[in-house]
Amino acid sequence: MNVTEELILRTLSTVKDPDLHRDIVSLGFIQNIKIQNSSVSLDLVLTTPACPVRDQMKQECETKLRNLPGVSKVEINMKAEVRGRPGLNQASVLPGVRNTIAVASGKGGVGKSTVAANLALALAKTGAKVGLLDCDVYGPSIPLMFGLTGQKPDVTEDQKILPIPAHGIVVMSIGFLTDDNAPVIWRGPMVHQIIQQFLTRVAWGELDYLILDLPPGTGDTQLTLTQSASLSGAVIVTTPQEVSLIDARKGLQMFQKVNVPVLGIIENMSYFCCPGCGKVAEIFRRGGAKKVSEAFNVPMLGEIPIDPAVVETGDQGVPIVAAKPDSLIARVYQAIAGALAAQVSIANMSGSEKAAAAGPVHIQWQTKKK
Amino acid sequence: MADEKEIIPVKIHQHGDYELAIYWADGHESVYPCDYLRKACRCANCVDEWSGTPRVNPAAIPENIQPVQIESVGRYGIKIDWDDGHNTGIYGFEYLRKICPCQECRDGG
Repeated sequence: MNVTEELILRTLSTVKDPDLHRDIVSLGFIQNIKIQNSSVSLDLVLTTPACPVRDQMKQECETKLRNLPGVSKVEINMKAEVRGRPGLNQASVLPGVRNTIAVASGKGGVGKSTVAANLALALAKTGAKVGLLDCDVYGPSIPLMFGLTGQKPDVTEDQKILPIPAHGIVVMSIGFLTDDNAPVIWRGPMVHQIIQQFLTRVAWGELDYLILDLPPGTGDTQLTLTQSASLSGAVIVTTPQEVSLIDARKGLQMFQKVNVPVLGIIENMSYFCCPGCGKVAEIFRRGGAKKVSEAFNVPMLGEIPIDPAVVETGDQGVPIVAAKPDSLIARVYQAIAGALAAQVSIANMSGSEKAAAAGPVHIQWQTKKK
Repeated sequence: MADEKEIIPVKIHQHGDYELAIYWADGHESVYPCDYLRKACRCANCVDEWSGTPRVNPAAIPENIQPVQIESVGRYGIKIDWDDGHNTGIYGFEYLRKICPCQECRDGG
């Protein structure tokens, strides 16, 4: 039997993307098929380089093609094209940024900035282009975590601010624009303006993911972001105990109210594994986030253990994913980044199917009064 | 919350000189007279934030009021710049669907 492109597509249409629940042919993943006698090569183009099931899908395709009569050699090139949030092609804010992900919490002190920083690095390690925007105007911690304290960003000829590169991503923070030790004492309208500037005056360039590290709570910054930037979705960070979960629920409900998909919940400081004896201690009681995720029907992205190395590396300006990429906690972050990227792809897919419809609206009223 | 499709707009467009129309994902169409929308503004200038009492006399709003332009607000609503200079109102999609002025919606509550 002759091996044809049609036969290959028909065979591969039995392979499903386990996250998107659709076959990989109709999703447009299979590209650039080349057949030479009995050898077949093709590109498998996923929606994110961080895809947690990429190896599994590749294997399934290989096996199915190899079992075809007349095929002796199969070469699958793994590629990824991150797809953008719905309405991106008409977006006036952050036009080069395919996905904007807010990392939020209700309560302060749950490790939101640490999680945001390490998630950004973990996404970048898969090959994605990533930016990190520190939206905490009153307490910016990203400059310290990236060893960028005291640095000032360059400004382009057309008066755009260039984000600062660090550990393979680009970073922007209010901390780069103010004195290191001087507090920012601003009322809400100023916060609104600076966030607007971050969205419109920073030359982010082309990014697959822009991670927004939000301040705690449901205040000015959150409002401005949900009104001005079309967010792909939000991630809620919480610690396991009830006092943190109460506020996590509020944060979650805020995003639901303004129609921003909640991509999942992350439980930080979930447990401590003793480096001496290996015994696990659940210091703040583990599993609270899981209960919230079940109650609100949003994905549980992962549980991050307590590790003194996180604080150590963070304070030294190299987040743990960059400092100790082989550590247990870095691998946990890598897994969470994969789960998050999958949720972004799912949200974009269902968003465009629901046709989140009208997309950005700009109506200039056309008539003159009679 | 209501059925999701009820509050997803598929198309938002100008309908004649004095009406705004929204097609919803569930197939319903809402047509809003402009002055009706202006009077329905819920912003803090129009409705007292604490007591909920109206702060604008509806009779003071001209019948021939028109938008200058309309823009999206995030993923959940629109903002209308009116030609009387008022521009602080945000109309969420859920709210817009709730105040659909058609007979069917008013009867059905």
